[in-house]
Amino acid sequence: MALIVPVIFIIVFAFAVIKKVNVYECFTDGIKEAFNFTVSLLPCLAAVFMMCALFEESGLSDLLTRFLSPAFAFLGIPEELTKLVLIKPFSGSGSLAYLNEIITMYGADSYIARCACVCFGSSETVFYISAVYFAGLKVKKLAVPIICVLAATFVSTVIACLVCRIM
Amino acid sequence: MNVIFTAVFLSSLLAIAICAPDRLLSSLLGGAENSVKMAITLFCIYAVWMGLSKLAEKSGLSKGMARGLKPLSKRIFKTGGAAANEALAMNISCNLLGLGGAATPYAVKAIGELEKEGNSYAQKLLFVINATSIQILPTTVIALRASAGSVSPSDIFLPSLLCTAVSTFLAVLLFVIGNKLWR
Repeated sequence: MALIVPVIFIIVFAFAVIKKVNVYECFTDGIKEAFNFTVSLLPCLAAVFMMCALFEESGLSDLLTRFLSPAFAFLGIPEELTKLVLIKPFSGSGSLAYLNEIITMYGADSYIARCACVCFGSSETVFYISAVYFAGLKVKKLAVPIICVLAATFVSTVIACLVCRIM
Repeated sequence: MNVIFTAVFLSSLLAIAICAPDRLLSSLLGGAENSVKMAITLFCIYAVWMGLSKLAEKSGLSKGMARGLKPLSKRIFKTGGAAANEALAMNISCNLLGLGGAATPYAVKAIGELEKEGNSYAQKLLFVINATSIQILPTTVIALRASAGSVSPSDIFLPSLLCTAVSTFLAVLLFVIGNKLWR
């Protein structure tokens, strides 16, 4: 599996050489686009990150975690995962840090850690993606797709906790 | 996004005003600082993959791939645009390979192209598919487990595959039904 990335690069570069593309100029052009793209993202990122920091710092996220833990436990989601499940839709780096914490605290092969890994690996940062994808576009009424995604993610989290008990 | 942002921000502001008013500014600045760090990480990922994708685009490789996937994306996304199809095909292929970072620029490009067609259905569907994660190989998680000394770091492969398949299928189903109900 480790070969996938090198193979992709070799194929693309070899094909470009065969087609007589100016490889250096073209590669730099792409990076220029990447730069402009990142700069255009920064305002949205800054706003969302400020919101997340504030949410965490104000103690509201802890409060919400404590409030929701019993309901989550009823559905078979371990208490230790509540925060991860709540943070994941908002912040990829935040939830990654938290996942790392869970793995070191409980051990990589424990039920909690495996469960956390499956939940993390099979979900995405929904709000972050919606901010990035639709930044500066006219599309409105994103509520329906966002609710669909969150509902489906939650169901798959419940299934993940169930499956990890068996597999 | 506007409603969520305002609601979370305002309620957090109120809570922090009561509990720890002196920490407000420092946490906002910390958040902004993290966003810059995140932007640098993102730029590194995009620089690599967009540089490569520009090569694939100029040499006609991605056009060929898009042609192969066109019948499929035409049926799913209901779009005929060549540029949109090309970006869609690249987004789906990157996602399946677990290269989430590489998939994002293509998704943004595809959404921009679909905007020109006025195809908001396809834009939202693409978001639903990407936001439920369709990766086959969760590379980041496996790497993390391996570095933490797991006996078999990739034994979460099957459960992950099952869960990501269920979530994507369910979300698309809900979206298609929801789209028919509230138009």
